[in-house]
Amino acid sequence: MRARPRRLTRTEARGARAATGFLLPFLALFLLCFIAPIGYALYQSLLKVERTGPLGLGGETTQVWAGLSNYAHALQDDRFTAGFGRVLLFGAVQIPVMIAFATALALLLEAASARWVGFFRTAFFLPYGVPGVIASILWGFLYVPGISPLVEMAHSAGWDVDFLGRGAVLWSIANIVTWQFTGYNMLVLIAQLKAIPGELYEAARIDGASAWQVARHIKLPLIRPALVLTTVFSLIGTLQLFAEPKVLKPLSNSIDSGYTPNLAAYNEAFTSNNQHIAAAEAVLLALVACVLSFGFLRLVGQRGKDGERG
Amino acid sequence: MYGASRRAVLGGAAAAAAGLALAGCGSDGDGGDEPKDRKKGEKITLTFWSWVPGIDKPVALWNRENPEVQVEVEKVSAVDGAQYAKMHAAIKAGNPPDLGQIEYPVVPSFLIDNGLLDLTRYGIADHKDKFIGWQWQQSVFGKAVYAVPQASGPMGLFIRRDLFDRWAVEPPTTWDEYEAAAEAIRKKGAWIETFSATNGNRFAGLAWQAGARWFGTEGDTWTVSIDDEPTRKVADYWDNLVRRKLIKTIPDRQNAWYKDVQTGAMASWLGASWGDALLVGNAPKTAGKWRVVPMPQWRKGDAAYANWGGSTTAVFAKSRYPKDALAFAIWLNTDPESIKLLIENGYGTPGAKQGYTTSQLDVHKDFFGGQEYSEVFDAASKGVDTSWQWGPATDTLYQRLGDAFTAAIGDGSSFRSVLKKVQGETIGDLKEKGLKVEAG
Repeated sequence: MRARPRRLTRTEARGARAATGFLLPFLALFLLCFIAPIGYALYQSLLKVERTGPLGLGGETTQVWAGLSNYAHALQDDRFTAGFGRVLLFGAVQIPVMIAFATALALLLEAASARWVGFFRTAFFLPYGVPGVIASILWGFLYVPGISPLVEMAHSAGWDVDFLGRGAVLWSIANIVTWQFTGYNMLVLIAQLKAIPGELYEAARIDGASAWQVARHIKLPLIRPALVLTTVFSLIGTLQLFAEPKVLKPLSNSIDSGYTPNLAAYNEAFTSNNQHIAAAEAVLLALVACVLSFGFLRLVGQRGKDGERG
Repeated sequence: MYGASRRAVLGGAAAAAAGLALAGCGSDGDGGDEPKDRKKGEKITLTFWSWVPGIDKPVALWNRENPEVQVEVEKVSAVDGAQYAKMHAAIKAGNPPDLGQIEYPVVPSFLIDNGLLDLTRYGIADHKDKFIGWQWQQSVFGKAVYAVPQASGPMGLFIRRDLFDRWAVEPPTTWDEYEAAAEAIRKKGAWIETFSATNGNRFAGLAWQAGARWFGTEGDTWTVSIDDEPTRKVADYWDNLVRRKLIKTIPDRQNAWYKDVQTGAMASWLGASWGDALLVGNAPKTAGKWRVVPMPQWRKGDAAYANWGGSTTAVFAKSRYPKDALAFAIWLNTDPESIKLLIENGYGTPGAKQGYTTSQLDVHKDFFGGQEYSEVFDAASKGVDTSWQWGPATDTLYQRLGDAFTAAIGDGSSFRSVLKKVQGETIGDLKEKGLKVEAG
């Protein structure tokens, strides 16, 4: 249907004006706090510093156009690229484990025979209330040999464990992240479980479905959107991994300054005082996060449609 | 993770936006910021960014004696170099304080940002004789002097005298004896020390003692010689101790290290003069058992020492009253009353030659069994090689060293390869900063 353009009536015009009025504060904040910093980061990532004068002292310090050289520098820095590999490995293991845990907990707590639901829901969610830095400090105490009761117990049982060693420290971080966010994801899943209409369960019961069958064929398919959502959040969060390695770094000989891409960008900006390369690294990080999240959404979107057809 | 990183990103975004807003105000050409002379009788206020504990006490004394030139201290965080990030940002934004606390190794990184004032224009040369030579030299580049020395950290060996005696181990005077002592102590189930991979500061001190010169200048070019003979000697030495498992490799001054110090699992610490307060504060139950002996030497009978830490009072380039700022900085670091107040709060070994006695520095004499331990550090201070110079990206250098040593300890590659790698990386870093640089 094609409507002929027509002039707005007076009421409609007033409505449009009002809508603009409501939108403006949002737009202003959006531009100032979201678009402007991104634009500024992009701009900074295309510049570099040039110094004149003997030894670079006393002369002019000017910012000149760098083209994509900061990006080239970042991509040639094996520390930075190794960080990407590390967080991807981390995500490939940690996210499935965490989502599986969260789903299992959500299903258990929402089972008809579950007792003390409120208490357990709060208990599992509680770690999310602990800021990442504090959580890392807490776990740090449990990882450090000489202080940790866990390490001591393991040693007295004859198990020579080093949570902060080269092979283990990534999984020690995964443990902190899982501890912190399983409850949060569980809560998102529970919210969606609650939205499933009771008639479906009733019908299933009449058909003689067991609790396991109800979970497998009704609950899991219907909380699919929540599963996708929590996975995408976790994916982005994994790429941004920062607080845990930053806090554990001084305790361990196994975390270098480019352990995760975020840590690399931070150190580039605040230790090396080189904002231009840091900006390029941040932009690269954002790009990868975008590609992975949208890639994942596309992937599950396709499968979802296939599922419907099949 | 998610919560904290989101905050970090938002914080970064806010900072970026602030930078955007401030970039407009900080243009170089505005004439209002030209340094000027204070008119007679005019009252001014200078701002001073510092993290030294108790710095407000000498400043309060100055403020009482100098009603016309008031100094306002703003405490800045010294965790992880946060203070320098803040200072660099303020320079970029065009609103730095008048004065700032800057450690010796990072002075050059402020110079290449044109952040500090050449104080020779304001007569700092007249005060040269008041300061210990090598500390003065840390802020001299070419003919220009950029900061007033405040304090340093000459190195010495803290030992648990009781444990050394019980195990019949002589305190080592040479590095060979140190290795032998490490073996002997290891046989008793304890460790002599740790080689902390991430402590670039101390490793620099060790190379400094061996005669290395990591940075230099040739005409208008910086030279980098981290991979030189003296440093290789030092690297090979510690490589050997680590491979033979005669020394721990845990990070120093962290929980596990403090635990080892408290329990005697680690029998010594190659530290700096300011380390006395660190031991007193963290291992109070070991009081009376510690002593300080001079740092081991490469050749018996030598007296080559090194430094770890220490800082200056610098005047920022945008200070509007540089003359008054310099007068305050000189007073703060040479006036006997001021030094007395600074020592009481434990700021290190004074950069001033006079105005105190070494006995004043023995604040924790009881902890060291009545030993007049500051004499050891005083002697060390006199044996520090004065020609050592820092380069323009020391924080990055420490990080590079930390990363490379960490990797070397992990995968068993040699400490020599660390030097080669870091040498190359550092040359790259300086080029990245737009400087002319060559391998030394």
